[in-house]
Amino acid sequence: MKKIAFSLMGFFFFVWVWPQRAYTQNAEEILRKVDQVLYASKDEQSHLKIILTDKNGRQSERQAVIKQKGNTMRLFRFTAPAADAGISFLSLPKNVMYLYLPAFGRERRIASHVRNQKFAGTDFSYDDMEAKLLEVKYDPVILKQDENKIILKLIPKPGVQSEYSKTELTLDAHYFYPVSVDYFDRTGRKIKHTDYIFKKIGNYWNAFKITMKDLRTGHQTQLVSTDVKYDQGLSDSDFSVRALTR
Amino acid sequence: MKQFADHIIRFRWLVIALVSLLSLGAVYVLKDGMSINSDVSTSLPDSDQAARLLKDIGDEFGGNTMGLVGVEAKNVLKPGVIRDIARITDSLKYDTLVSSVVSLTNIIHIQGGDFGISIDPLVKPGQLPETKAELDSLTKIVFGNDMYKGVIVSNDTTMALIMFTIRAGVDESKAAKLLRNKIEGMHLDERLYFAGSPYLVIGISDLIAHDLKRLIPISLLVILLVLWLSFRSFKGVFLPVLTAGMAILWTLASMKMLGFELTMISDNIPIILLAVGSAYTIHVVNRVGIMIAAGRKKAVAEAVKLVAVPVLMAALTTIVGFLSFVLGAYLKMIRDFGIFTALGVMFSLILSLTLIPAILSFVGNKSAKANREKKAKTNFIRGKLLQPLFYVLKERPKLIVTIWIILLLFGIGGSFRVHRNVNMVDYFKKGNPTRVAEKKLRDKLGGTEVVYVEFTGNVQSPGFLKTMKKTETYLKTFPYISQPQSVADLIEQMNEVMGEGKKIPSNAKKIQQLWFLLDGQDIMKQLVNSDLTKAVIDARFSSGNSDDMHAFVNAMNSYLKNHKSNCCKVEFSGMPSVYSHMDTSLLYSQFSSLLLALVLVIFIVALLLRSFKSGLMAIVPIVATLVVLFGVMGLVGIPLDVATVLVASTSLGIGIDYSVHVLNHLKQVQQAGKSGDEAVADMLQITGKAVVINMVSVAAGFLVLMLSDMVPLIHFGLLVALSMLCSGMGAITLLPLIWKKSIQTKNIKS
Repeated sequence: MKKIAFSLMGFFFFVWVWPQRAYTQNAEEILRKVDQVLYASKDEQSHLKIILTDKNGRQSERQAVIKQKGNTMRLFRFTAPAADAGISFLSLPKNVMYLYLPAFGRERRIASHVRNQKFAGTDFSYDDMEAKLLEVKYDPVILKQDENKIILKLIPKPGVQSEYSKTELTLDAHYFYPVSVDYFDRTGRKIKHTDYIFKKIGNYWNAFKITMKDLRTGHQTQLVSTDVKYDQGLSDSDFSVRALTR
Repeated sequence: MKQFADHIIRFRWLVIALVSLLSLGAVYVLKDGMSINSDVSTSLPDSDQAARLLKDIGDEFGGNTMGLVGVEAKNVLKPGVIRDIARITDSLKYDTLVSSVVSLTNIIHIQGGDFGISIDPLVKPGQLPETKAELDSLTKIVFGNDMYKGVIVSNDTTMALIMFTIRAGVDESKAAKLLRNKIEGMHLDERLYFAGSPYLVIGISDLIAHDLKRLIPISLLVILLVLWLSFRSFKGVFLPVLTAGMAILWTLASMKMLGFELTMISDNIPIILLAVGSAYTIHVVNRVGIMIAAGRKKAVAEAVKLVAVPVLMAALTTIVGFLSFVLGAYLKMIRDFGIFTALGVMFSLILSLTLIPAILSFVGNKSAKANREKKAKTNFIRGKLLQPLFYVLKERPKLIVTIWIILLLFGIGGSFRVHRNVNMVDYFKKGNPTRVAEKKLRDKLGGTEVVYVEFTGNVQSPGFLKTMKKTETYLKTFPYISQPQSVADLIEQMNEVMGEGKKIPSNAKKIQQLWFLLDGQDIMKQLVNSDLTKAVIDARFSSGNSDDMHAFVNAMNSYLKNHKSNCCKVEFSGMPSVYSHMDTSLLYSQFSSLLLALVLVIFIVALLLRSFKSGLMAIVPIVATLVVLFGVMGLVGIPLDVATVLVASTSLGIGIDYSVHVLNHLKQVQQAGKSGDEAVADMLQITGKAVVINMVSVAAGFLVLMLSDMVPLIHFGLLVALSMLCSGMGAITLLPLIWKKSIQTKNIKS
């Protein structure tokens, strides 16, 4: 779950955070600060390039436009290749997700139990596509803390369904943005790894490049965001089912 | 020949040194043993369309070698068993040796309803069913879907199936063995069955290795025993075995140096060479024994001069019998067997005419005791077998003819009942774990033989998918085909959950967008290639019967021929197809190699005896033997398979020797002035004895193969032994009668 939040939130949001030392803070406070970094803006729009690389090095590319408001609403619309253009996903509060296929001219709700499934051939899951605060989903424990980095162990809160038993989040100790995440399955084996590259756009930290690798299959997904715009005054109606089908 | 014999004696030290050196070299080459290749599919010619397509499918779809794990329990739809199935599935899924895995816990499940749409595994990771309600729900889904019922879970719920494909490019046998060890290492409560082509190949390799270790010493003991009973002398026992041993060593070293591996056919080359290769030395030793009174060196040279031609003739005909596989064989392993057995026979011949005279020129005369014992032994054969036989030949020839006519009638009748069998499962004895696993999975879960129909074109076009669906519907009409699956099924199901019915959309855009949702699902890489130009229907075939396979393959080929599509190219392959081609090729191999061997043998015998009539006469006992042989196969139910297809030409090559010796003797005594019964009596007394001894020793050598763990080799050993007895008896009964008749006819004419 945290994977989702980190990867996608990184694209869409940034928060201006005063550089500060974290030595004196507890795990919950640190996680809250991460959420503040990731969900700092009121809304965000960006273009996303999705590069899929299989274990043999073969690549394919997709493009999409993403809109997000707050930490509960997100619209994801594919723009390329032409065959996929218009396919859209809408993520709303209370685990509600919709899918729109333009060729069928109709939307369908996505069952909640598929949240851990792969999203459109990427290494991200449907769950990763939703916007949700980390502190709502995870119980954090500090594993390591020094001048430059903090490592948190995140364990899904009771009742949160996750394919991971835990994740280990490495943060920049000054600005609280994620640097990398390791994902572990139920047997404790590391199965995925994600690297983040953040840069500052205006007042917000933006994860302009995220690379997730499935260590079991060797498959890799890279997300590169461009044309990032913050605080454009998006309204709730931009995240309605009607907006999805437009 | 005299010059040759003199040279051997003159350079005897050189001969012994050279042979020793070559043998040491062969030992060095073989110091690490030989590799075994028991995969029949690698033996198919590159020109075989079914084999080529199967290989292409492997390259395009991540491998075509499917392993199957049957998980047996009282009820596999119980939490503990489901947990274990999930454990095995996960351990295979992320193994680098495996390209895909499908089981109860990860098979794709597409559904739609008020809750929305979902495309996910049938059993969600981390949410294994525990409660009664969850288990009941799973049971209902499994038995309500043709993709799962009887395919992933048996109808009686006692067995679940885990299918995995070994990644293309890895050593399949090694990979299958490692994966089996890994799964067995989990020490699960359920009983596990490992089946599918990689486990068949492993099973056969193990049997070959076991056979080699066990049968060579036994064969050696049998040959030693027969030789001891025949000669009762150290020379008579040691030298033939020495020749055969060296010939085996040289042959295997040649194979290894030339990059050939042992196969389920060539693994019996050592036993054949033990049985056949020692015969030439026996002749040499025997002849030298008779000549020794003239002085050791001189006697050896003289003996070589006399024995070289008949030995050469016998070896040549045997070599021709084996070489006939080169032109006639469809499978590379049969061709290789022919080449290297012929080479081994040639080595035996060379050693018999060089090394053996060289050694004999050093060692002493046969003891008086040995001579006495040999005489006693041969008297037994003459007194109890040959004298009564002579009486019958002379007084009651019609009895002999009648017996042969009856045998031939039985043979002809039985020949029509000979069936073919290329199913590798039947190579194992009943009770063998591999055979048991194959049978279990065949009976309960739709078989283990993969069937593919490959479609090439624009995979996402409506026409392409509709053609796939139509072909799949046709496939389902065959009783032995278990649930075929394709991407067309998935698109239909997706279209249904989008509310447009269970059918292929006619709009390509819709297909592309449904496809988008399926992208990344594990099953997709099994069904569609990465650049979306090829897709397969994947099914399994559950009958091991050759006729069923043949009928299925013919019907499919005929269907595809009559239902050509403009939107895609459709090709059909899979193990039934490969087996069917092999099956047809067995008949072709049988007739072509046999015909070739017969023609060459007639030619060689005619040339050596300088009489075409002799050539024709020589093959009479052989033809009679072959008729009886096929008759026995038909009556007893021994099928024509990759091993028994070798019997006819092998028997011809070895059995013709008897005819040659008999005819040669009759010709010699006729030239010496003897005729009719007198000549026959002389022939029986001298050559007849040799034929009987040789017939028994060769048959005994081949009968050792009956101790093999592989059913085709058991049949092979039995049939060659039978044909030895038959061709030997034919040579000393039928041939004298025909010869006498031809003499009488000639006399009447003149």
